[in-house]
Amino acid sequence: MPQLGNLALAIALILAVYSIVANIYGARRNLPDFVVSARHAVWAMCAMVTIAVVVLWTALLRSDFSLEYVAAYSSTTLPTVYKITSLWGGQQGSLLFWTWLLSIFTSIAAFQNRRRNPDIAPYALAVLAGVAIFFLLMLNFVTRPFELLATIPAEGSDLNPLLQNYWMAIHPPSLYTGYVSATVPFAFGAAALITGKLDDGWIRSTRRWAIFSWFFLTLGNMFGARWAYEVLGWGGYWAWDPVENAAFMPWLVMTAYLHSVMIQERKDMLKVWNLALIGLAFGLTLFGTFITRSGVISSVHSFTQSGLGPYFLSFLIVVTLAYTALLIFRSKDLRSPAEFESYLSREAAFLFNNLMLVGIAFAVFWGTIFPVLSEAVRGVKITVGPPFFNRVNGPLALGLVFLMGIGPLIAWRRTTTSNLVRSFAAPVAIGVATGIVAAAAGLRQWYVLTAFSLAAFVLGTVIVEFRRGMNARRHMVSEPRAKALVNLVAKNNRRYGGYIIHIGAIVAFVGIVGSSFFRTEVKKSVHVGESFTIGSYALRFQGLDETDTPHVESATARVQVLRADGREITVMTPAKLFYKRPQQPATKVAIRSRPFSDLYVVLAGIDDSGQTATFEVFLTPLVFWLWAGGVMMVLGTVVVMWPNVRERAAIATALSRSSTDARELAGAAPGGD
Amino acid sequence: MSSLAFLIAAIFVFLSPELKDVSRETFAAENPTNSEVSEGLTCQCGCGLTVANCNMPTCGFSVPMRREIDRMIGEGKTRAQIIAFYRHEYGEKVLSAPTTEGFNILAWTMPFIALALGGGLMVFAVGRWHSHQPSTPSDSNPGAASTTFDPELRRKLEKELEDRR
Repeated sequence: MPQLGNLALAIALILAVYSIVANIYGARRNLPDFVVSARHAVWAMCAMVTIAVVVLWTALLRSDFSLEYVAAYSSTTLPTVYKITSLWGGQQGSLLFWTWLLSIFTSIAAFQNRRRNPDIAPYALAVLAGVAIFFLLMLNFVTRPFELLATIPAEGSDLNPLLQNYWMAIHPPSLYTGYVSATVPFAFGAAALITGKLDDGWIRSTRRWAIFSWFFLTLGNMFGARWAYEVLGWGGYWAWDPVENAAFMPWLVMTAYLHSVMIQERKDMLKVWNLALIGLAFGLTLFGTFITRSGVISSVHSFTQSGLGPYFLSFLIVVTLAYTALLIFRSKDLRSPAEFESYLSREAAFLFNNLMLVGIAFAVFWGTIFPVLSEAVRGVKITVGPPFFNRVNGPLALGLVFLMGIGPLIAWRRTTTSNLVRSFAAPVAIGVATGIVAAAAGLRQWYVLTAFSLAAFVLGTVIVEFRRGMNARRHMVSEPRAKALVNLVAKNNRRYGGYIIHIGAIVAFVGIVGSSFFRTEVKKSVHVGESFTIGSYALRFQGLDETDTPHVESATARVQVLRADGREITVMTPAKLFYKRPQQPATKVAIRSRPFSDLYVVLAGIDDSGQTATFEVFLTPLVFWLWAGGVMMVLGTVVVMWPNVRERAAIATALSRSSTDARELAGAAPGGD
Repeated sequence: MSSLAFLIAAIFVFLSPELKDVSRETFAAENPTNSEVSEGLTCQCGCGLTVANCNMPTCGFSVPMRREIDRMIGEGKTRAQIIAFYRHEYGEKVLSAPTTEGFNILAWTMPFIALALGGGLMVFAVGRWHSHQPSTPSDSNPGAASTTFDPELRRKLEKELEDRR
């Protein structure tokens, strides 16, 4: 079986090389057969990588410890679900998984473009195959997933216990999907630069890919935060760890891109900027992979450190240089007849929004690499941790939230002062009222007051926008309110789905602010039967239950949670785990999540008698809304991506118009009747 | 515009939220909690988290350090004193944020310098676009299409609409 995996990867590499050659040759010489053949090669490459994945999965499920990878990341006692997730639990497997996703997405892009974009699709597929070649070279020659062991161990080393969690089963695939799918719009952008077809065709063709990528980056970041919250046991969800930063940066840049392409679609402006943004987003996905695997910067997430860093860095440099050279080469063709009339316009709001998003991405990048710079310049290793990121990004986040409120209500081109006052009066009043109520409730931190006021202002703008659209529909087609609202969203799903995403982002922002500023914690050692308090809760330690399985030993505390009046609310069960195979302890936290606050209980220690336990308890207000906001963002994205008949008709018209133009340019325009 | 943006940024950076840190130094300095101190220190076990956040049950660095911090707080030491003690002991790498001295100033200022430069560039570009654009009547309808109509086409359109009424 391992030989089959190796063979499949070798053939996949050959097919990827062939696909590049045939695509470029066929497109340059106008030989469609070569382009078709290259497309088939892409599909065959995908089949080969799929075979390799199946071989590795089979080996993991069968605990075939003759394979070095299986022996290193699995064991006979590992639950089946984690045997499956072990595919991305280690270095070689995660690279194989990445390559698999890339080959699937390349195949889908090839299928979608079999009759579309004949000018740029072959080049885009060649770029995608080029990226695949890099990963296949790694898998074939540098970090082979099917390496055999000289001596077969009786048992495997098992998967890292931190990865034995259901969030870890879905967090890496989501993030990888987001990372890898960003390659498709990047490839089409690069193809537009190569061919000189620099209109917004490549953007329209890959819009759904960009949203798809953003969607999974959002999910990946959210799942990762939830994993940290539930598994790491420190009561928080985001530590500005380099690997978290590496996942956050492409998300920021993709968010900027999704806003700025609207300006290009609408006004034919910002061509260079959009191409630069998608290049940057792709580069940052490579940078993220480089950070995770190089060990250059230490991270709690670096489960797969290896010597791959120099290869990724070299690839990143080559891609960056080549793409920048293309941008410079095409700079004259990228100039567009710009129209910009006023700073009081939606395009200006989008430009500032882009500035903030890219500014935050730069601040995160800068903080992430500064330790390396410091060591290189001063020879002193320093740490750049949460205090830096919070302090630098805090004000930028406020600016961004403010712009989220401005964008939806301001007109394209320009807006008059009277219209501005009319549009913003209600949202500003809502924001100010929220600030006053918050201050009256005793909040004194200026950041919190500003954040809550701005959040209310943004929600106000979205409400005004929904109300305005709904009223317009009611006047036009005399619908009842609820039906008008549903139809409004259904018929303008891109716009109103975007607003739902804005609501989700604001709700998440409120959760982040609340949980960051008002968290309280208590650490207490108690005997069985003793109680202690946090906030309005009393917690009583009722005793320990111990269990022992071949895989893991656990000691679970029973903690009765009582109200101030003594009534029982629930019994929480935090635990300490001891994984036998990697001989590693772990923590299982107990969380009682409510809209106002989460009660988060960690069993921090147990004495030898089992009669005394130490608990770390956190009371975190509003953190519930971070996850709720994430869910809303996901729902909003689904609405945005929902197939829209009108949009498809518009694209079909645009495509038929562009093919007619192409025929006319080629002197083969059909005669009119 | 760039210098204005930079000024605003500079004000922001020194007045911004995790001012919890600054305020902790000034207001909570007399009676800090363990978390307030340990958030300012980085665990050296390789996890990359702060001492407050590292929750490895058997961490050989953060677990004893948190105990030691409790002891020092009990002795009446301030946050600044405790952090200075550990900085002396382990060097700058134990701090969870760069200092505001020498080369490290670059860490704090560069994001805002970049933002100011980006903002300046944007304002410059927009100014150029703006100066090339002939003025058209304002459109007060949000969401209105941005297309600039040829007056002749607009006249034709209005006539056709009129005919259809």
